[in-house]
Amino acid sequence: MILNKRKIISSIALFICFLTACWGIFWLSFILVDVIRHGLSGINPDLFLKDPAPPGEEGGGLRNAFVGHFLITLFATLIGVPIGILGGTFLAEYGRKYNISKIISTLADIMVSVPAIIIGAFIYAIIVKPFGHFSGWAGAIALGIIMIPTVVRTTENMLSLIPWTLREAAFALGAPYYKVIIQVVYRGAATGILTGIILAIARVTGEAAPLLFTAFNNNYFSLNMSQPIASLTVTIFQYAMGPYEEWHAQAWGAALIITLFILFATITGRLLIKRRYKE
Amino acid sequence: MTPEIEVRNLNFYYAGGVKTLKDINMTIYKNQVTALIGPSGCGKTTLLRCFNRMHDLYAGNRYEGEIIFQGQNILSKDTDLIELRSKIGMVFQKPTPFPMSIFENIAYGLKLRGIKKRGELKDRVEKALKDAALWEEVKDKLNTNAFGLSGGQQQRLCIARALAVEPEIILFDEPTSALDPISTGKIEELIISLKGRVTIIIVTHNMQQAARISDWTGFMMLGELIEYDKTDRIFTVPSNKLTEDYITGRFG
Repeated sequence: MILNKRKIISSIALFICFLTACWGIFWLSFILVDVIRHGLSGINPDLFLKDPAPPGEEGGGLRNAFVGHFLITLFATLIGVPIGILGGTFLAEYGRKYNISKIISTLADIMVSVPAIIIGAFIYAIIVKPFGHFSGWAGAIALGIIMIPTVVRTTENMLSLIPWTLREAAFALGAPYYKVIIQVVYRGAATGILTGIILAIARVTGEAAPLLFTAFNNNYFSLNMSQPIASLTVTIFQYAMGPYEEWHAQAWGAALIITLFILFATITGRLLIKRRYKE
Repeated sequence: MTPEIEVRNLNFYYAGGVKTLKDINMTIYKNQVTALIGPSGCGKTTLLRCFNRMHDLYAGNRYEGEIIFQGQNILSKDTDLIELRSKIGMVFQKPTPFPMSIFENIAYGLKLRGIKKRGELKDRVEKALKDAALWEEVKDKLNTNAFGLSGGQQQRLCIARALAVEPEIILFDEPTSALDPISTGKIEELIISLKGRVTIIIVTHNMQQAARISDWTGFMMLGELIEYDKTDRIFTVPSNKLTEDYITGRFG
């Protein structure tokens, strides 16, 4: 009797879970399908090869934004990844015995969920304002800072997964600690750390808010990181708000490219994790 | 028989002040196999880990007394731990291959000693693998990941890795407790074959193992070295009642 009742409740709960999952997946696929449907019509060689045409004129593309976005992300990675890996290494290795490490870990966890726009405003206050103008560097630094906590925490977690006996074995051969870390521990954790980096890059690639405050935008092609520089996300924002049909089409195209990149990066990251745990 | 290590009035405290080793005195003889036996928690692994100062990896651990090796007290603050550990190798309970190829695993310790020439590395890796009776099984797959080996092979790889740097002493911390009987047999044969070339100190749960492979046996209980003598004497005419009770299986 009571078992029957439990079976029924279990089936109902399972059914509700199933429905909510479908609900989530429905919207996700709706967004994806919509981006693909609109985006495909916006994609043509000009989008990648030409700079924006003056407002109101036909044609043009987003070469400046693709290149600008690439530069900002590249430098953000160069800033965020080394700091993140070294910080994570400190927490998992040298800093294990200090209480401050636990505090830093917790703070990094909180930092992961701090809205990106706050980082943008912060960089605006400490870099853009004193220098008097927006710049690519400010954008790269803002995105770099957003990457740091993610990379710190993945590195720390991946290093902690390496069993202590492995470190002891390396110590027992007479290896100094830095060699144990670089040659043995990093090697064991490499896939995991790489995954963290990929996921961090995927995360910052989609950020628009912090760039509005820092790199701003530029309608012309520029490789100068000391000046305002275009990015895809800010351009999408600007074009989507604009009055021209062609702008909308280009914004959809850019949105599709960014979505595909993030999808690709995230799936690669997940596959790497899966492979790691299979080993 | 030449003494290799003199342990004098050794006390050891783990972080928090728990006295785990109490006034240990013993002489380890060169190129002999010395076994440490005793019930769980008796301090045999703790004692083993004093010989290469493994306890230093964790804050708060403290030694008292002396361990004399090559005329030096290795417990002194001036001991170069890197040099010490290059003379006293260790093999752990669970196999600990590094996440790299079989060749690189063995070459790792050699590279730490500054050996970089490809030819010399190759020769010494081959010699170490032959000494560890693993060469025939792995000679065609030296560049594959060491995790692909079986547990017993991994453990022999770890022994080869320790042998490669030609240490004076190798410490074995229950090297066969995670292995099947056949792999255990191979490792025991290997240890016997190393007799006369390298000093071996082995911690084991398995009394029969101690009886089979060791020349000297120390019986420990509650942090004390109850009896230390030639293995055949310990297992036939123990002088201490506790030793007799333990080896006859009355407790443990």
